[in-house]
Amino acid sequence: MTMTRRNLLSLIGATGAVGLAGPFLGGARAATGLTAAEWGGDVVEAMKQIAAKQNAAQFNWVLHQGGAGAILPKIKAAWPKVDYDYIAGWEGSFNSMIAEDWVETITAADVPNLADIPEKIMMRDAKGNVKAVPRAVGGMYFGYRTDTAPFAITKVDDLFDKRLKGAICWPGPTQSMMLQIVALALQGGGNESNMEPGWKLMKDLAKSGNIGRIAVTDVDFTNSFTSGETSVGFFAEPSWAAVAKNFKITRLTKQAGMATFLYQSGFAVMKNRPNRKATCDFINFAISPEMSALYAKVAGEAPLNGKAATPPELAHLAFTPKEFESFVHVPDYKVVLGQQDAWAKRWETDIAPLL
Amino acid sequence: MNGTAKRRSDQVLGGAMIAMLALVLAFLVTPLLVTCLLAFDARSFLGPLPPPALSLRWFEKLVSLDYVATGLATSLKIAVLTTVIDVLVGTAAAVALDRGSFRGRGLLMAAFLSPLIVPAVVIGFALLLFLSRIGIVDGFTRLLCGHVVITLPYVVRTVLASLTGRDRRLTEAALVLGATESQAFWTITLPLIRSGMVTGAVFAFAVSLDDVAVSMFLTDPTTYTLPVALVSNMRASFDLTIAAAAVLLMAVSALLILVLERFVGFDRLLGQGLFRS
Amino acid sequence: MSAVTAIPLRKPASAVPALGRTTLLLLAPGLLLLFVIFALPLLGLALESLKQYVPGRVGSATDAPLTLENYRELATPSFAGVLYETFKLSAAAALTGLLAAFPLAYCIVRRFSPRQRAACIGLLVMLVLLSMLVRTYALELAFGSVGIARPLLLALGISPTSRWYIETLVGAGLLHAIVPICTLTLLGTIQNIDPRLCDAAQSLGAPAWKAHLGITVPLALPGLVSAFLIAMTFAISAFVIPMVLGKGRVLFLSNTIYTRFSDVANYPSGAAVSIVMLVISLLALSLVSLVRPRKGAGS
Repeated sequence: MTMTRRNLLSLIGATGAVGLAGPFLGGARAATGLTAAEWGGDVVEAMKQIAAKQNAAQFNWVLHQGGAGAILPKIKAAWPKVDYDYIAGWEGSFNSMIAEDWVETITAADVPNLADIPEKIMMRDAKGNVKAVPRAVGGMYFGYRTDTAPFAITKVDDLFDKRLKGAICWPGPTQSMMLQIVALALQGGGNESNMEPGWKLMKDLAKSGNIGRIAVTDVDFTNSFTSGETSVGFFAEPSWAAVAKNFKITRLTKQAGMATFLYQSGFAVMKNRPNRKATCDFINFAISPEMSALYAKVAGEAPLNGKAATPPELAHLAFTPKEFESFVHVPDYKVVLGQQDAWAKRWETDIAPLL
Repeated sequence: MNGTAKRRSDQVLGGAMIAMLALVLAFLVTPLLVTCLLAFDARSFLGPLPPPALSLRWFEKLVSLDYVATGLATSLKIAVLTTVIDVLVGTAAAVALDRGSFRGRGLLMAAFLSPLIVPAVVIGFALLLFLSRIGIVDGFTRLLCGHVVITLPYVVRTVLASLTGRDRRLTEAALVLGATESQAFWTITLPLIRSGMVTGAVFAFAVSLDDVAVSMFLTDPTTYTLPVALVSNMRASFDLTIAAAAVLLMAVSALLILVLERFVGFDRLLGQGLFRS
Repeated sequence: MSAVTAIPLRKPASAVPALGRTTLLLLAPGLLLLFVIFALPLLGLALESLKQYVPGRVGSATDAPLTLENYRELATPSFAGVLYETFKLSAAAALTGLLAAFPLAYCIVRRFSPRQRAACIGLLVMLVLLSMLVRTYALELAFGSVGIARPLLLALGISPTSRWYIETLVGAGLLHAIVPICTLTLLGTIQNIDPRLCDAAQSLGAPAWKAHLGITVPLALPGLVSAFLIAMTFAISAFVIPMVLGKGRVLFLSNTIYTRFSDVANYPSGAAVSIVMLVISLLALSLVSLVRPRKGAGS
């Protein structure tokens, strides 16, 4: 899967173009019962609101128990029997599901609104078929709690400052696809294919004593921030949004030298299910401009539909072409995903003993 | 040793004992109190103590969430069934293990304890793979299997612990006097191990009701336990609904304990053991 | 000896060197359960641990070639470090827990009034029922780096973010779960010890500590071993407690396994860690189980 800058721009920088309403589903038919795996909290709340605005499908919502990867062993064990019509996920989990050949190919005929979603962000299999429908985009980036951080952080070097003793909450080896170490690699002149500079900086950071907590789950990070234990970190959108509900935070998405990464959240339609058409129809409805805007507002992730407006509170995720060029790093996800296992082991041998 | 020195050493021991017990109890009670504070915390996030304001919002949320009732019903059904199976099977196994030193006894004891060594995530994962392979994909059966595995060792161990202290000569005396083995069991052994059975049952019930790590692998889209539902509901922010649930559960158990103590009495429930205090 | 025990003779219950029919019948349901829903799944896991893992996949492929690579790559100092940390903290917590639980259980049975006894047992049962997740966060807020104990810690010159303190905190978390479990387990044991033995020793002039050390403790030894084993096994496999209180810096084996079972999805490697852990734990527990009471001690 690749994301080019130009395509992402058009989606993230989209400003207020109001599109056509999605094709409304016939109200006369009896509703089809669908089972969907979603994230808890604000995301499922957004999806419930969207589902309430149509009546072709009725949902049994199943919530992800932790990360989106937690559902994989369940599917693997029950395969070829599948319990879910669609599964919400992101690059990390979609990649695995595509590799296992669990998901349906989606075409513009199935989901016409796909035409409004930037093509390059879509995840494809080896043959180039689209395998997941993106619905929103979120960021993974550096930031800090404005009221408790000892000073304004502006560069990666600041992370090594003595004043931050124990004040950094750093993502553990299962979080954010370990893009945090790619961010360090970029600082040291490397990238996802040349990670040595990143590992060197990571070692220095671990030795510095500035890392107060390694967060293994999203909740870990949020708790550490809200309780005042730590004040600086690198995390994904939902975690920052959760802290931002109660505390002022500074999101360093547009800070030269501190890389920002983007991820998609979307739908994967599962194979071996009887309701393919109903599922696709619902997904088509959910990514329509209006529903995309509703999702963005409730779930706190920026819309991907080019015709939907990005709400003002998500301005940190709206980049002008120039901004995108200088702040957003689009890694080669093939490399990143292929290296997860190796990086996790590297973390265990090189970094964990230093903490 | 003369009497004065003995008195003094006894006094020192008694004093040290009281101080230590006070410390232990304080340590045990603190998190209980913090949990109660958390459940009434008006903030929507986990913040430093004490909370600036109190509210009932988490209890209201607990009552209003649609999957709480479903989850609770499943949790209670599983916990009760698990406890019954454990007490029957576990007590039998413990009694057998205590019957003498046959070859392989140590190995069997280790075997009965071994599910405790294996992290719950591993048990859940391994069970999921295995049960699917033999065609069991029903959530309720899977959960019941998982919960029995992780709780059975507690019953075996607690019953064994209450058996090992007892005087074996009592059973032998009964046998010599003409009682059959089963008579000796019902009249002598069972009353002695009642405290072990009750304790084990409490552990089994509590562990089953609280488990997340095993259950999250074994639920299906329509069958899930309460803790799994509550934990899944938090994506990014810690949701104190789970603290409210914990406080309610404790209140119910406190009430139950009170009722049991008033109408049955702990001494009868737990058994007196051989020697009354 | 072995020839004799193999003959299924009806013997008096006082001497049963062989596995009798009743014993076997009593053991059968438990063994069957353990075999089907514990041993067989673990066997499946052991098989998974021998399979080759291709990065990017979910677990191993059905036709993956067999390999020992998943075990070989565990032979690192860092893995040994996690192993050591897990067993060190678990043993420390289990021993401390026993030291706290034994006197508590003794007082509940022998010293407290019925009302005090009921209150104490009620409290312990409530503690056992307290949600592990909530309990851990409560401990974090009470004794963690932003907890109410923070001023006290700073006054004593203890840094709440130092590794030493974090280890202590994880130990305290384990202890908090272990003490109620151990105390309740020991109640039955102590009930069955004749208090007159100890009283007699004391009336003959032995100081209380000597009487208890010489009589109560040896008589309670099997129960103590049993309680220690429960505590130790509980601690070794703990997951939430080190995850939250260890701040991701003090790791247990279960946390390492979780990393492999979650988004990394390297199940063969996670399975290998699980199997290694199981084998080492079983060896350690068998050693502890060898502690047997000396026959007739104290009488």
